[in-house]
Amino acid sequence: MTEALLETRGLSKQFGGLAAVNDVSLAFEAGKVHAVIGPNGAGKTTFLNLLSGEMHPSAGSVWFKGRAITGLSPDRVARRGIGRSFQRTNVFTELTCFENCWIAAQSRLPSSLRFFRPAARRGDIGAAAERALDLCGLRARRDQVAAAMSHGERRQLEIAMILATEPELLLFDEPLAGMGYRESQEVIALLRRIAEKHTIVLIEHDMDAVFSIADRITVLVNGAVLETGSVAAIQKSAAVQAAYLGAEEEP
Amino acid sequence: MRPLSRPLLVALIAALALLAVFPQFVERYYVQLATKMMVMAIFALSLDLLVGYTRLVSLGHAAFFGLAGYALAILQRDLGFVSLWTTLPLTVGFTALVALLLGALAIRTSGIYFIMVTLAIAQMLYYFANDTKWLGGSDGMFLDAKPTAEIFGLQLFDLKNRVTFYYFALGALVTSFLLGRMVLASLFGRVIDAIRCNEPRTRALGFTTWRYKLAMFAIAGALAGLAGYVGAAQDGIVNPAFLSWHQSGQALVIVILGGMGTLYGPVVGAFALIVLEDVAAGLTEHWLLFIGLFVIAVVLFLPRGIASLPLAGCVGRLRKRGGGAAPLPERRAAEAGDD
Amino acid sequence: MDVSSFLVQSLNSVQYGFLLFLVASGLTLIFGILGVINLAHGSFFMIGAYLAHWLQLKTGNLFVAIALGLPLSFLLGLAVERLAIRFLYARDHLYQVLLTYGLILIFNELQRILWGNDVHGVPIPAVLDASVPLNETQSYPVYRFFISLACIGVAAAMYFVIHRTKLGMLIRAGAANREMVELLGFRVNRLYALVFALGAALTAFAGMLSAPVNSVYPGMGEHILIISFVVVVIGGLGSIQGAFVGAMLIGFVDTFGKVFVPEAASLSVYAFMAAVLLWRPQGLFGARPA
Repeated sequence: MTEALLETRGLSKQFGGLAAVNDVSLAFEAGKVHAVIGPNGAGKTTFLNLLSGEMHPSAGSVWFKGRAITGLSPDRVARRGIGRSFQRTNVFTELTCFENCWIAAQSRLPSSLRFFRPAARRGDIGAAAERALDLCGLRARRDQVAAAMSHGERRQLEIAMILATEPELLLFDEPLAGMGYRESQEVIALLRRIAEKHTIVLIEHDMDAVFSIADRITVLVNGAVLETGSVAAIQKSAAVQAAYLGAEEEP
Repeated sequence: MRPLSRPLLVALIAALALLAVFPQFVERYYVQLATKMMVMAIFALSLDLLVGYTRLVSLGHAAFFGLAGYALAILQRDLGFVSLWTTLPLTVGFTALVALLLGALAIRTSGIYFIMVTLAIAQMLYYFANDTKWLGGSDGMFLDAKPTAEIFGLQLFDLKNRVTFYYFALGALVTSFLLGRMVLASLFGRVIDAIRCNEPRTRALGFTTWRYKLAMFAIAGALAGLAGYVGAAQDGIVNPAFLSWHQSGQALVIVILGGMGTLYGPVVGAFALIVLEDVAAGLTEHWLLFIGLFVIAVVLFLPRGIASLPLAGCVGRLRKRGGGAAPLPERRAAEAGDD
Repeated sequence: MDVSSFLVQSLNSVQYGFLLFLVASGLTLIFGILGVINLAHGSFFMIGAYLAHWLQLKTGNLFVAIALGLPLSFLLGLAVERLAIRFLYARDHLYQVLLTYGLILIFNELQRILWGNDVHGVPIPAVLDASVPLNETQSYPVYRFFISLACIGVAAAMYFVIHRTKLGMLIRAGAANREMVELLGFRVNRLYALVFALGAALTAFAGMLSAPVNSVYPGMGEHILIISFVVVVIGGLGSIQGAFVGAMLIGFVDTFGKVFVPEAASLSVYAFMAAVLLWRPQGLFGARPA
């Protein structure tokens, strides 16, 4: 049995009387795409926040590569090798794609308080930025200012920026939200390419996308794990269908 | 900061050559005026680092300009230091240190508060200089001698000579420009670019942004100190007016007039404004009225400054390749995170 | 310091605090509702003082002078808003600073052209030119009480207008959501012009009131502007409560600072500001930074 890259043990988050995340214990295998799905309000984003350090759990722990990362700040979590995308795209609109990826890659340096040597000499940073752009298919847009790109392209840039930090594990929060069919297909293809060399934990509502890229799926309902299994198992599961048909489904 | 485009580089070198031969062809008055312009140019250039590149609008930058002048005066009068090799580094170093300390306080605030706090800090220094006898009160202090430039007793150059002083100032200007560009091209400069464009996102990437802003504040303060040093050495006097907010305000006008976020823009702006003031003062006693109207006109009609004019545009497309910063939007951006 | 001196200085502090409150609340209203930082705010204080001086000379009566000067200041505020300030809405603060800095230069020169470089005094109206005895040795000028009372009256009126009238509601709504108010059919432009003119008139009123106790001199606007900036920074931008608390605090710090540490009198205010900022960078009542 492969050692889990990321693991949660009894992870919980309470907001007053409400348990947004309720005793979730999951293991995420290295090199796999693990989707987390569930009806609205199931606690998926909160769960992701607990993994990335945006929120501190009320109980339980998070383990990455065998070491506890519970309660670390988002920055420290990122430095351990976990990258995360947000629902709102927030790139540097006045900078070019390359410059966006550059600053993301540069953020991994221990200190940027360096005043004398030209940054452009840092071939390692440039290479990381170029690799990220290539992987995301943004090579043609390298010198284009982000403000001039479409929403979908900016989403790709956002992903490229995360890749530029060379994480091992990527957390995606609804990467396909608000996209039309063609854009979605491009992003799904991108996610597949990324999955070749990275581990992915993905929240998504687009079921076709989920079923086509995920290796394993966890269904969260009311903050607790309803079921975890392979794509086929989840598709067939009566309990999952009941949970979805009984609750609001969002497009 | 983007690299200078070829046409722009050529223009700058041409301008430098012009400045280099200028004193050989004109009378003393113009050499002195040009020196004064260069002092203001260094001062404005240092402010551009803050305003144009880091989007920190300081209304108290004159604090460092004046501080350096007073430091030089005290070094001369009370410690007997006259050598350029000691007074210059000590003055600039002292100013940088003070900038670091005051900046640590000011950087805690942002936006409007920062503008007001920097103004208040400069005013504090102004009143302190004005009210303190030891600093000469409202009359200020005289600098009895120009800094000497000797090595092993041999005089390298004589700053009492106006033309020599002119070249000294020119050297300071070129050094400031190159230093500014070096800093902006470094890893530090990349972070500054990011902070200017989207500070919350920069923080989200893990950068402790206040440290970078503080460092820039200190660097800009040090360069303003250099300007103050040259200015005080030229005038032979330093008084509270060096610290006044009109000095800060004028520098801000110059930065916008020339074109902020370019470094060379403020240099152009300094020359333009000083010529304008010189001409206006010759025409009427109430020339400040026209300067006020001029400032308003610049804000309304030429907010991106001279560097953005079509003439300058043909020297290089400034936004994309011209060595400038990504421009400051005239309209205030909606709250952070706007897509 | 004995009790009666302490009382006198406290009364001075309160009176100064009230004046600062008028000026600072104008500044904070204009920023909070119009989103404009107005460096020329102090110029209206100066304009008020000079109007008081000039009209008092013409009419022989300070009350008449104030009665005439207020509407004049209001109109001037309207004019400035229409001619200059309205180009600043939604523009970056840098441009607001620059344009209003240009306004200061213009106002200062206009003042010099009209009234010259001399320092002027304004006599206290005879009816108020008396002193109230506090104890056997100390008495306190009636006029200073008058200043405080007038300020309290204005502050109360302001509170009433903002919280109890339709105009005030529109002002508060316009601050929160300009577009919505426009869509509902109200002319936000007029509202903004009104608010600016009110702010200017408030400040001018403070200038008129204080003219008899401080002199009237070129450049007086800048001094009050910077102090009112300090008040607003301490109190928190956009908050009238903050302006009040900040003004009172500065009134006390400045007055007692001058008494106890005369050599560093001007510094005490800034040192206090520094201390507040170290503790709360957004001011006492300001919104927490994101």
